[in-house]
Amino acid sequence: MQFRRSLLGLAAGAMALVGTAPLSVAGEFDGVTVNILTRPGYVIAGRLVERGVEFQKATGAKIVVTEVPYAEIFPKIQSDWSTGTNSIDVGVFAAGWGVELDAAGLLEDLDPYIAKDDKIDLDDVAPYFREFGQKVGGKTKLLMVDGDFQMVYYRQDVLEAAGQQPPKTWEDYIDVASKIHGTDMNGDGEGDFGSCIFKKRNAQSYFAIQTFAAPIVQTKGTAQGFHFDSATMKPIINNAGWKKAFELYKETGKYGPPDELNLDIGDTRALFKAGRCGLLVEWGDPGPLQLDDDAAAIKGKLYAISGLGSRMVLNRSTGKLVPAIKSNAPHSVDGINYAPFAAFGGWAGAINKKADQKKKAAAYAFLSYMNQSAQSSVDVTIGATGYNPYRLSQLSSPDLFIEAGMPKELAENYIGAINGALSNLNMASDMKIPGAQSYTSVVLDTELARYLAGEITVDEALENIEEGWEEITEDFGRDEQIAAQALALGS
Amino acid sequence: MQKPVPQNTKDIQPGNSPAGISSGDKWREWCDRHAGSFFIAPAVTLILIFAIFPTIYSMVFALSRVRFTGDGLKFRYVGFRNFAKQFFGSSEMHFLGRTEPVSILGMIIFAVIVVTVLWWLYRSWKTATWVRMLGRSISAAMAIFLGWILCASLLSGNSIGTLYTTLFYVLFGCAVQFAIGTGLAFLCSQPIRGRNFFRVLFFIPLMVTPLGVGFAMRMIADVTKGPFEPILGLLGLQDWVWSASPWSARFVMVICDSWQWIPFIFICMLAALENVPRDHVEAAQVDGASSFHIFRDVTWPQVVPVAVTVLLIRAIEAFKIMDLPNIMTGGGPGSSTESMTLHSVYVWRANDLGSSAAIAYLLLILTVVVCASFFNYVVLSQIRKA
Amino acid sequence: MKDVIVKFDPQNRSLMERLFEPPAIGKMAPFTKVVVYSFLAIWSFFVLFPIYWVIITSFKDAAAVNQGPNFIPFIDFQPTLDAWRINFTADPYCDIASIARQIYLLAHNSVIFVLSPFVSLQPMEPQICKIYLAFTNSVVISIISTIFCVAVGSMAAYALARIQYKPKFGNIMIFVLLILAVTLMTTYSGIPWWMSSAVALALFFFLARSIGRHFKMSLGNGDILFWMISQRILPPIVVVVPLYVMFQAVGLLDTHLALILLYAVANLPIVVWLMHDFFANLPIELEESAQLDGATRFGIFWEIVMPLTRPGLAATTLLILVLNWNEYLFAVFLATVKVQTMPIMVAAKNTGEKGVLWWEMCAVTVVMIIPVIIMSILLTRFISKGVLLGAVKG
Repeated sequence: MQFRRSLLGLAAGAMALVGTAPLSVAGEFDGVTVNILTRPGYVIAGRLVERGVEFQKATGAKIVVTEVPYAEIFPKIQSDWSTGTNSIDVGVFAAGWGVELDAAGLLEDLDPYIAKDDKIDLDDVAPYFREFGQKVGGKTKLLMVDGDFQMVYYRQDVLEAAGQQPPKTWEDYIDVASKIHGTDMNGDGEGDFGSCIFKKRNAQSYFAIQTFAAPIVQTKGTAQGFHFDSATMKPIINNAGWKKAFELYKETGKYGPPDELNLDIGDTRALFKAGRCGLLVEWGDPGPLQLDDDAAAIKGKLYAISGLGSRMVLNRSTGKLVPAIKSNAPHSVDGINYAPFAAFGGWAGAINKKADQKKKAAAYAFLSYMNQSAQSSVDVTIGATGYNPYRLSQLSSPDLFIEAGMPKELAENYIGAINGALSNLNMASDMKIPGAQSYTSVVLDTELARYLAGEITVDEALENIEEGWEEITEDFGRDEQIAAQALALGS
Repeated sequence: MQKPVPQNTKDIQPGNSPAGISSGDKWREWCDRHAGSFFIAPAVTLILIFAIFPTIYSMVFALSRVRFTGDGLKFRYVGFRNFAKQFFGSSEMHFLGRTEPVSILGMIIFAVIVVTVLWWLYRSWKTATWVRMLGRSISAAMAIFLGWILCASLLSGNSIGTLYTTLFYVLFGCAVQFAIGTGLAFLCSQPIRGRNFFRVLFFIPLMVTPLGVGFAMRMIADVTKGPFEPILGLLGLQDWVWSASPWSARFVMVICDSWQWIPFIFICMLAALENVPRDHVEAAQVDGASSFHIFRDVTWPQVVPVAVTVLLIRAIEAFKIMDLPNIMTGGGPGSSTESMTLHSVYVWRANDLGSSAAIAYLLLILTVVVCASFFNYVVLSQIRKA
Repeated sequence: MKDVIVKFDPQNRSLMERLFEPPAIGKMAPFTKVVVYSFLAIWSFFVLFPIYWVIITSFKDAAAVNQGPNFIPFIDFQPTLDAWRINFTADPYCDIASIARQIYLLAHNSVIFVLSPFVSLQPMEPQICKIYLAFTNSVVISIISTIFCVAVGSMAAYALARIQYKPKFGNIMIFVLLILAVTLMTTYSGIPWWMSSAVALALFFFLARSIGRHFKMSLGNGDILFWMISQRILPPIVVVVPLYVMFQAVGLLDTHLALILLYAVANLPIVVWLMHDFFANLPIELEESAQLDGATRFGIFWEIVMPLTRPGLAATTLLILVLNWNEYLFAVFLATVKVQTMPIMVAAKNTGEKGVLWWEMCAVTVVMIIPVIIMSILLTRFISKGVLLGAVKG
């Protein structure tokens, strides 16, 4: 009895405490909490948290960033938004994934907000990202925070020492890698690796293979695509072009770290920062990342190439590889066809249509804050944030990066490489149709990993991918996919 | 004269309260009479709602094509397509492994397996009831199916899929863990000092979070930065990476899993060995028997019931392995260290909820048949003997 | 016999005999002692080494980890508190004020939960440093769900040990068929789940009275016990997706209640199995005499039986506590933002664009496993008294 009474007293006291909530700064979005879901680690998420603190001071909205493993971002957002659970308000993910969510009517249309927003400057966003990254079906549904291209990097000092020219094609890449593999690139007495590529399954490997395949398979401009035949949505994967790409990809493993199959992007970054890689396939991050303190071994030495090409291209009607000449590859240069791959499309934020109005307003304000030049131009120079340049003001001159500490020549090379990719008329676009995730990160990734591990032959892998892709296309409806692909490629 | 023990304890009535029965007492009496229901109701309800119903609901998932639309989940009935995909369709190589070409050795061994199983079935035909025969037929069917996959894939030099990877973890893992665990228990059951200290110490790995074990093992198994690097260097194996080859990855998985589960076997077997009466052993020692004979003829028969029960429990848990392969290799080079649970999770991530449920169901069937067979034919017979 | 006695003559033994044969019955030969102790020592090393490695790595910095294995602190590398600092103080909102607020909210929520479990709780200030949020969530969920699980399980185990049940097979079949019907109706037609469940329940009672009575075959306690314990065979992966959908339908997704219930059910079979053994081994006379004195069932259970099984109860509680603390799969599927637990936190550190940050990960892993190590040491003291083993034998 005594115990129960004291318990009641305790409860009453606690209830009294309930009333006294601490005051917070009065702001436009006071009392609103915005939940953001994105990938784990400091990259992408860290900056959102830090800017979130600033944002809260300015407007009173609380920004909460939750991190889940990369492979779970899309399923979690899709199930959360489609079932109406609404614990997440904003998803920051690959711009290409937005198409499937939008097809289900889950994304909030941002145009009305943009019209009322006087701080956002969308004209400054590079046209490719503005039209293909942020817009779905002509309406803006996402706001970019980062622009993505896959490029090849090389250690200028190592190549010079070995008397090698920067590679122009993937065959050159392998050739150079073989010549520098085993040499000591960071002065620690141990042999280092010719080429480092993140080949781990369920990670980013499936982007790298597309960088290899694009110049072989796509010749006639972005609208041609290199995954499907645009008229019928039949996969163009089971052919000599992709087969060559797979084989080249596997061959780079001979000149790479022994456990390359188990390395994801974090591991390869640690390797090249320690100075152990001669050649890299990567996004825009290594440019600013080499300025970090723990990258002293490579500072100023990592140069970029906007994309490697191929001397042989695929003739789609015969299915054979033919030399690249102006008639079959109008964008080729000196007999080499280039097709820089806009892998991943860039991290962008989208808002849950079913969230309540105040949250949506606060979420938009935060995304706009991240997108604005003042913030973005600072973020893209810091390698650790994972944000790469995507705005014209960031790409028009190397000054931004020179200020951040890059030597002039390196900054010019870096910006030049990105601009070269963006302006290339044969730029290869990442998949932006419903099911994009399933096509690439599930089917392509699994079969690629099994081929690399030696479980299946390359022909079997390509066959399995074709079968898997057809299944997905049938599932979503072939006609819908044809229409979606047309929209995605802007044809 | 002993009081007769009542068989049906429900018949015992509480004594009447002296002041007559009031309504409050009537309520308490009613509660007490139905105490049986009240005691067991919460457990039964919880299990029904959170275990039985979802299992049945999961079957609906497995039989449908599930899609996320703007208003939630939409189911489209597709029959057994998700299951067929695992055995004949696009997932066959992933699930079953490569099953052709079948080598001569594979054919021979398969024939041997079929003959053995059918002979066993025939032998029980005469002595068993129809219920028992049904059970035995199911076991036999499973044995033949598993035998076929084994012969067609592994014994023919082909690669195996997640089905056999799971079985590998279970069978090989349990065998290794049992051998080492019993060995340790035997050592500890000797007259040594500090037995309790060892018991406490050896128990710790069992309780460490499997995720934590996964990370610890991943770090330790790292060939460039882990503690084994100097040893591998000495052996001239600097360039060998265990995670690049399917079978070495699987072996490493089993080793790491054993680290966590040997304590379980150790604890149970140690208790069993401690319960063997010392005087039997000492009498045998006086008679001049060697330790080996003592173990085989005196100790072992007494611990066999516990041993098989422990094996059964370990096997049941082993089928569910997921954390370790996920953390250490993300499914291994290709898909070689994927267990069926992990396979199901990866398929879930791909938003194919139907296939994910189908694979989960296949795992359930596999677990139930294998464990029930083991229980009926091995555990029960050993317990009956004891 | 005479030869045998000569063999054990302690005075005249050769060197070989001294080394290899036991000096007396019940003792070991020196050689055997060396062998046994060395094996045990080797195994102890295997057990402790990974834990040691995790702990020292949490005190390393990037250089110390990446430049190859460093084994001994202060000799091979300089220990730093970097990893601990980054995880526990570097994020925004990791300051004392936020933590104090978190504890206040915890108390507030506990009070409200006790008073009315279905009122939704105030969000646990998710802006707190994530690691503290995860830790408090883990602690809260583990403790509450353990208490709940042990309570429900012990009651069921006691009932199965003392009361005879005779559920009719026919009724069970009808029940299963009705569950199937409810599932199909809810999935394929638009009928809301609560309506179809209510109809099915009513139908069940009606059918049980009318048709079920005709099926005489019934099951017994052993079958019910087997059914409960065999739930452990169910791989959790089979039920997670349906559970996700179920919890979402009632709006309990991402709440503490969902995880508490689920963890309780996942470990119920173990509790029932262990406690049943204890209860069955208690002498029935005590309870009988209490019943004759007019005690109710629950009174007997609470006041007589439970105190008698205190060691077993404590052992079971500790075991379930550890299992709940370690639970990962359910949390991954059902927790999104607010209810993240420690294992999820640790798993999220698995990738990073600077390479897996082993040292940071180890710091979090250490926080996750030190409580369980302590609990397991406590638990072994019970096991060494042979308390849990009766269940395994039976």
